[in-house]
Parts: sequence; C-alpha cells; structure tokens
Amino acid sequence: MRKLILILLFLLFAVQLSVPARMIFQQEDTIQEGTAYKFKTRPIDPTDPFRGKYITLNYELNSFETTEDWEEYRGPVFVYLGMDEAGFAKATAVSKTQLDIDQDFVEAESNYNYGKTVHFRLPFNRFYMNEHKAYDAEVSVRETQLDTTKICYGLVYVKDRTAVLDNVFIDDIPIQQFVDQFQNKE
Amino acid sequence: MNSKIKNELAELLEADIITQDTVQKITAYYQTKDEAKPNRLFTIFGVLGALLSGLGIILIIAHNWDTMPKNIKTIFAFLPLIIGQMAVSYSFIKKKGSAWVEPSATFLILSVGATISLVSQIYNIPGNLSDFLLVWIAITAPLMYLLRSNMAMMLHLVLITWYAAALGYTYRGPIPWWYLLLFAWGIPYYVRLQKQEVESNISGVLNWLLPLSPIIVLGTFTNGQSMGFLMYLGLFGLFYNLGQLPVFKNQKLRRNGYTVMGSLGTISILMILTFKWFWEDAFQDPFAPIDTAFAGILFLAAIIVLAYLYQKKLLKSFNLFQYAFLIVGLLYLTKSLGYVHNIVLTNILVAALGLFGIKIGIDKSSYAILNYGLLIITVLIVCRFFDTDLDFIFRGILFIAVGAGFFFANYLLLKKQRSTALSINPKTETDA
Repeated sequence: MRKLILILLFLLFAVQLSVPARMIFQQEDTIQEGTAYKFKTRPIDPTDPFRGKYITLNYELNSFETTEDWEEYRGPVFVYLGMDEAGFAKATAVSKTQLDIDQDFVEAESNYNYGKTVHFRLPFNRFYMNEHKAYDAEVSVRETQLDTTKICYGLVYVKDRTAVLDNVFIDDIPIQQFVDQFQNKE
Repeated sequence: MNSKIKNELAELLEADIITQDTVQKITAYYQTKDEAKPNRLFTIFGVLGALLSGLGIILIIAHNWDTMPKNIKTIFAFLPLIIGQMAVSYSFIKKKGSAWVEPSATFLILSVGATISLVSQIYNIPGNLSDFLLVWIAITAPLMYLLRSNMAMMLHLVLITWYAAALGYTYRGPIPWWYLLLFAWGIPYYVRLQKQEVESNISGVLNWLLPLSPIIVLGTFTNGQSMGFLMYLGLFGLFYNLGQLPVFKNQKLRRNGYTVMGSLGTISILMILTFKWFWEDAFQDPFAPIDTAFAGILFLAAIIVLAYLYQKKLLKSFNLFQYAFLIVGLLYLTKSLGYVHNIVLTNILVAALGLFGIKIGIDKSSYAILNYGLLIITVLIVCRFFDTDLDFIFRGILFIAVGAGFFFANYLLLKKQRSTALSINPKTETDA
C-alpha cells in the first residue's frame, strides 16, 4: 500500500513539474516558430495577488464588421489575422466557428455586438512588469500618446492558435527601457 | 497541565470535594496528555513557517525581476517546487510524523502556486486569477489523500473557495461548476477525519471551514432573483440539521460550526424575508431553472437529514429552528396566491423562533442562547420600525416592552441558576 502511495506521489510530482514545463514549451515553441504580429495598444496598470503587477493592454483591434448576424452573441470567437500596409496586425475575418482558411488565428472573447459589428477582447492582454515600473508604464505611455506620432504596440507571436505576447514597445523601444528613461527624466 | 486546573484542584481539595488520591490521579492523567504536546507545537510552528516562507517566495516572485535573463528566471521558477517535492518525499519515505508531513505539504502546495505564477509571468500567459487557481488546485488536490495531510485539506478548501468567488462574483461571471466537483473531492477526507479524529483541533477547525466555503460560494450559482434566498435558506437548514447529528451535537458549541452558522444564517435570511419587497418580487419572479434545482437539492438534503434524525429517534424535543426552512419553503410555493399571507406568516415565524431561542436559553441555563432569542425579536421589531406606519407611541411602547423583556428574562435565568446552586450546595445561601 505504501509503495502504491509512493508511486502515486511521484506520478503527482511528475504532473506538477510537467504543467509549468508544458507551459514553457508551448510558449517557447510559438516564439521560435510563430509569426510575429504588432498590435497597436494602450496600457493600464492593475495587480494580481500571485503574479504581481501587470499592465492591461487595450488593443485597437477590438471589433470587426462581418456579414453574419451577431446580435445577443457572447462567447468565444476566432479572429483571423493579417497585416496592414504599415505592418500592424489587422483582422481579416471573425467567426463563431473555425474557418477552413490557411491563416493564423487567435481565440478571442466576444462580449457585445452591435448590428453586424462584432466586438471582442484579444486574450493576450496582460503584460507582467516590475512592481516599480507598471504604474509608470501607464503614465509614461499616456503622456507619450499626446504626441500622436508615437505608437505603442504589443509584439505577439502566433502559431497553431497559441499566441505569446513577447514584449510591448513604444516607437520600437521596449517598454521596460522606455520606463527607465521616463523615471530617469523624473 | 494548565494553572487554572491546578488552582481548581487545590480549591476542590480544600473544600473536601475530592481527595488527595483523586488529585494525584487527575494530575497524572494531564501529565500523560501533555506528553503529546511538544510534537503538536512543532507541527503548528512548522506549518506556520512553511506558510510564511511559501507566501514570501510568491511575493518575491511577484516583484518581477525584469533585469534577470529569461532562462535564469525559469530555473528559479522550478526551484521552490523541487525543494517542496524533496521535502515531501523525505518526510514520506522516512516515515516522519505530522511534524514533517504537514509543513512539507504546505510548502509544496504554495511552491506549486509560485512556480506556475513565475512561468505565467515570464511568458505573459493570458488567463485571469480563476484560471490560474484552477490549475493550481488540480495539481495539488491529491496531496491530502496521499500524505493524509490536514493542511492540504484546509488549503484545498481555501483555494477552491477563492477560485469560485473569483470566477462567479464578477460581472456576468460564469457559474463555477468545477467548484462542486472540487468540494466533493475533499468530503471523503473530512468524513474519515470525523470518524478517526473527531476530538482533534483540526476537526474543530474544519467544522467551521467546510460549511463556510459553500456559504461564500452559493451566491455564484444564483441569477440574483428571490429564489437565491431560498437556496441559502435550504443550505442553512441543511447545516442546522447536520449540526444536530450526534457527531457534532455531542461536541462543544464552539466546535459545531454547522449549528452556529445554520442558526445565524437561517435567522439572517428569514429577517430579509420578513420585508414586503421580498414577497412582492417573489410574486413576479419566474422559477429560474438552476436556482430552483439548487434550492430543491438543498431542501431535499435537509429533509433527508431530518428524516434520519427522526428515524434514529434523535428528535426528542421539538426545535422550531430545525423546521424553519421547510415552513418558508412551503410558503414560497404558495407565492402565486399573493404575498400578504406570506409576509404575515414569515414575521410570525421569526418572532416564534425568537421566543423559542429564549425557551432553549432558559432550559439550558445559557445566557448566550437566551439573549440570542431576545436579539432576534429586537431585530425583527427594528425592521418593522422602518416599513410599517404604526404610531410613534405604539412603537415606543413596543421597544420598552422588549427592553423590559431583556431584563426580565435574564433575571428569571439568574434566579433559576441560584435556586439550582442552592439545591446542590446549601452553603452558598450565605454567599448570595
């Protein structure tokens, strides 16, 4: 009986190790092999009790005009991705079901719709930051965005419906570095 | 042995109630009991140490060391988990007692949380708090059975409650169905504990924590209409009747969370149900399917417990608190007939419960229960103070009457206790 418990205990340990390991593998695989998309965004800063401070990214890509009737629908949607002329991500199609087209897509959450326009929230909207930088990230970006030529975007790798938010940039400067510069100026 | 017992023994010996021989026997009994204490203390401090250091690691991780390279951070992510697993393996293989098992299990559970926190942070893995908690719970849930760890059971309860509240109490939050399964997962462990270690401290703590969890979570299953109150009434009725089972009733009231929370909960819900607005809303509300199903299951479970108590001849004296949920449940079924009779009958029921509390208090010579009964009546009157058009004079007289009732009932009980003391020991007459 004790032996059996010991085996079960080690099996549980293996599961406990495999869960974070699988998380890492999936994310790394997407970063290495996936396609990179830039999503224009604006950050705000809340806190998670375990994972620390993060900035929530409000992406400009949050709606799409479809041909279907979307009234009263709330639930998961498949957002198919392409790139605009400036190299930023755009939606090429949004559907309640998976489409038979050879394009990268991400699963988003649709909360409300108006007519044939579907509104959705992209899942990779949390970017964890150092506790002393998250709030300043929000402030510095807000101040920067008064200057409409500066662009804030999230760099997201997409592969096989997995999307990994790698970093957030303001005019191609990583946000950590941008906040460092902002804090030094203060 | 604590000094209070020593003093009591000296007093009893001096008053010729017990002999020197009895004093020695009692002292010897407590000394053997105390021998188990150092180990227990070691367990408690070990668990506290593991809790604090585990939470400390989570906080340090939450700081987010953004200057550290990703691969170093990933190694650090696994470090607490591996230390926790090694500590658990050591305490299990070396057959160490609870002083090792409990702290190592506590540390392992927290380190699992720390590891997935850090990995989520490094890779900005999407998902809100409830998703994160669900993964954490799923990969630590078997520990309570494999290690027979009470702390693992307690942390499981805390985490599943947190998960359900984080998911269900958000705007348009979904129903946390997984909670039901995860809650049921811990029940066999709790039942075993009640069978084998009914007197232990941990049983007493779990007698509070276990019912508290569904009380917190049940609200996530309702759509917010009047049936939600019925669900809670069914739950409190179930708890009150569970508290009357010998396994709980034979314990001190402070170890019987079922009775205390069942009674307080029943009274709180009934107090809300004495208001006109509730029955007016109920009159219009349809029978929402999920709410109705939950209320039905909870009422049925409470009735089954009542039937069991009846079958085992444990319903010796009539106790209105045991049936209150059923009476209101039946009233709710008549809601389509109008609301006036329901308002009046619920008010009468609450007043009757107050009087019943006073009666139980006097019968058991308990000031706490007596004043609880009086408090129920007082709160009922205060509630009616706001929503009735009675004269100020009438209301004033009512308040004075209840105030006088407090004095009178307490005086009656004091008198009863004195006469009992006199009949046992006539010497106390001179003291009084």
